Amino acid sequence: MNDDNAANSNSAVADDIILDFRHVTKQFPGVTALSDVSLQIRRGEIHGICGENGAGKSTLMKILSGVYPWGTYEGQIFFEGQELKLESRSIRQAIEAGIAIVYQELTLVPGMTVGENVFLGKEPLEAGAINWDKLYADTQQLLTKYKLDIHPQALVKNLGVGKMQMTEIAKALSENARILILDEPTSALAEAEIEKLMEILRTLKEHGVTCIYISHKLNEFFTITDTITVLRDGRVITTQPTRDLSVEKLVSYMVGREMTERFPESHRQPGEVILEVEDLHAVDPEESTREVLKGVNFNLRKGEVLGIAGLMGSGRTELAMTIFGEYGKITRGAVKLEGRTLDIKSSREAMMQGLSLVPEDRKRHGLVLIQSILRNISLPNLDLFASWFRIDDNAELKASRTFAQSLAIKAPNLEVQCNTLSGGNQQKVVISKWLMSKPKVLIMDDPTRGIDVGAKYEIYKLVNELAAQGIAIIMISSDLEEVLGMSDRVMVMHAGRSAGTLDIAEATQERIMTLATGIA
Amino acid sequence: MNTISKNGSVQNTVSTLAKQFRANIQTYAIIVAMIFIWILFSIATGGLYLSSQNISNLIRQITVTAFLSVGMVLIIVTGNIDLSVGKVAGFVSVIVAQLQANIWYKIFPEQDLLAAILSVIVGLAVGTLIGALQGYVVSYLAVPSFIVTLGAQWAFNGGILIVTQGKTIPANQPYFSWIGQGYLKPTAGWIVAAGVIALLFYTMFNSRQKKRRYGFELSPLYLDILKTVLYSVLIVIYVAVVNSFNGVQIPVLLLAIAAVVMSYVSNNTRFGRYAYAIGGNREAARLSGVNIKKNVFTIFVIMGLLCGVSGVVLASYIGYGTVAAGGGYELDAIASCILGGTSTLGGEGTVFGAMIGSLIMASITNGLQILNVPASWQYVVKGAVLIMAVYMDVYFKKNR
Repeated sequence: MNDDNAANSNSAVADDIILDFRHVTKQFPGVTALSDVSLQIRRGEIHGICGENGAGKSTLMKILSGVYPWGTYEGQIFFEGQELKLESRSIRQAIEAGIAIVYQELTLVPGMTVGENVFLGKEPLEAGAINWDKLYADTQQLLTKYKLDIHPQALVKNLGVGKMQMTEIAKALSENARILILDEPTSALAEAEIEKLMEILRTLKEHGVTCIYISHKLNEFFTITDTITVLRDGRVITTQPTRDLSVEKLVSYMVGREMTERFPESHRQPGEVILEVEDLHAVDPEESTREVLKGVNFNLRKGEVLGIAGLMGSGRTELAMTIFGEYGKITRGAVKLEGRTLDIKSSREAMMQGLSLVPEDRKRHGLVLIQSILRNISLPNLDLFASWFRIDDNAELKASRTFAQSLAIKAPNLEVQCNTLSGGNQQKVVISKWLMSKPKVLIMDDPTRGIDVGAKYEIYKLVNELAAQGIAIIMISSDLEEVLGMSDRVMVMHAGRSAGTLDIAEATQERIMTLATGIA
Repeated sequence: MNTISKNGSVQNTVSTLAKQFRANIQTYAIIVAMIFIWILFSIATGGLYLSSQNISNLIRQITVTAFLSVGMVLIIVTGNIDLSVGKVAGFVSVIVAQLQANIWYKIFPEQDLLAAILSVIVGLAVGTLIGALQGYVVSYLAVPSFIVTLGAQWAFNGGILIVTQGKTIPANQPYFSWIGQGYLKPTAGWIVAAGVIALLFYTMFNSRQKKRRYGFELSPLYLDILKTVLYSVLIVIYVAVVNSFNGVQIPVLLLAIAAVVMSYVSNNTRFGRYAYAIGGNREAARLSGVNIKKNVFTIFVIMGLLCGVSGVVLASYIGYGTVAAGGGYELDAIASCILGGTSTLGGEGTVFGAMIGSLIMASITNGLQILNVPASWQYVVKGAVLIMAVYMDVYFKKNR
């Protein structure tokens, strides 16, 4: 790995460019995740990569970490002048090459100390036993060098998120990482911790460590990065020095594409207000000091589709789960249905009040994958067919079949196990199960995530039909076009708050992005 | 035209059969395994194995632990485990024996029938109460079932010693003995068999009629009849075999009732459906409005009740309450479920499979006993069979 490819790259640039993507294309069945991406990271810079959800950022990172190994994509990647050829799933190999990734979900062992985590898998040995003194001394040295303010013997589970992240960074640096990739490093951090992180990044830069910085929070790019690359739909839109850019320019690069005929036409006439959410505050039930909703206000009319936009971590899903009675503990404010204040403590109560939720993660929260379509559709609705001692399986089958047919679920029969279905069909099963209870309000959390265009269109048509029947629909989405194409109004969330509600006539991608990134 | 429709219907039948076969492949595989084991032992023992006396014994041998497997299936399906069932059944058995031997005759002498009835009631109540207590700690206090039931296993082992004072207590009084040792008279056996067969046919036709009313396509009539006839024949063979020895044993009859009821409950009630959903995906079940705590609690209560039944049958069958009562039964019960296709990950498993699993375990032990294989080697074989069976399951699942 150390000798041959040097001739490939021209040497004048090789000193300067540490990581070089050349025409990288990554395709999945039906989707092109990355399309002819060419991108150069210079040694010692902090290089920001931004883009909407699904723009291709995470695919790029997965290629760098070996999740999609060499050979599964087209094009070449040169690291330090040599072509990077990672084998399947060999994160180890990426680390040894000098590429370290600090993930959104921290990957530390909570029951171990900082030192143990930093040296996990490469503990200094003495006569076959771990040399603890050396381990902690080395950890301390590393922490001091990069001005990381943590105690080597502290247990990771007792640390705050910010310090856990420092541990993660220390772990990456202990591998002699030459390039450090930070994926949404600030999404879970408080203001003070973010500032601390920025300081650490500057220290790293002084020590010559190159950083790739991925974030949804645009203002951070202007605080810390030297260069910014914008990805959209798997393509590199531009790479420019940060000083030449402005937030407005960045936003227009991120969203600037034309609308196509992706959405079925609809003529909605929203009726009276059915659901009101007033100044809703809620905390994480596991951790009552962590506020997940910090003041959400909106109302919803019969037959209306209210789009909720917001970046990951803005509290969209938490809002849906809290209204549904399954997550947040409401500390202030109220949810009112038809004028009555609701006090919902479980999904069952929510269903009885006429609420339904199509959850965000259909595999984890939506389906029992090892069961049949029939069993999944009927699960929340068994009360409709059952006395205490018997389920009328004929009535169950008939009702389920009606929904399966009207939603055009593609399967030979309803006995088919859900884990053999495509994403789009799985989502239709989830929607069926939540329609059978005849909800007044249907909350859909990112209902088209990860499903193909055709299935998306069918789901949009369904949403229109349901709205026409007078069902009030909340449609949470990461896809801005979808929000604009489907909603009557759009509420934008940022950091647990409703940052603003826009009428569809005045909503543009730029305005939504501006609200969602908290610049306004 | 005619030919095409004929062809169509034949193909339809074949594909229905094939579909049913694929859906139940695990059940069929285990039945085939059982028949294989029977043939093997039958040859090895020169036919002795399949004598009516041995079959009669074999089936009765499984009853005490099979009651436990009936409840254990749902426990494992929800992703829990119950390690206490053996000792709880043992505890019930010594309490019942104590009542029979030393209590009732003091209060109402010479009332054997009343005493037996009261013993049964107390036995079932004690089991149910223990189940409720454990269920409460597992589901409402959120202590892992492994820990709760392991603790309970020790506690009731102590309970057994306290009740018996280390002595063996006789429980062989009239009427009470009948529960574990009694037989139906041959005529009564045939009457029960006739009743069950009539019920099978009634259910089959009734279900067809209901389906027709809903406008669903029916599987061919002769196929349904064939299936029902097959079950009927099995029942007739069983009754004929045991009648030629002593008759249908009472504990086997009780077990059949328990298994049919629990099988029905697990398939045809909300409670049963919820159990499978919880085991299949706890989060999805919760978001679908399933009350997980209540469901798991109820399952432990039912498990307790079945431990009560098992304990009463145990005391009556061996005629004693002993310090060793119920030792290791929990592992037999768990192994039967696993052999019968219950997934240790939860969400999958049937009562019927667990019954076959029980029968396989007993068939192996019984066969080895007839062959005079020492007890030590019986354990080795049993362990190897369990591991091999689960490996085969893993292997076939991976290569499907």
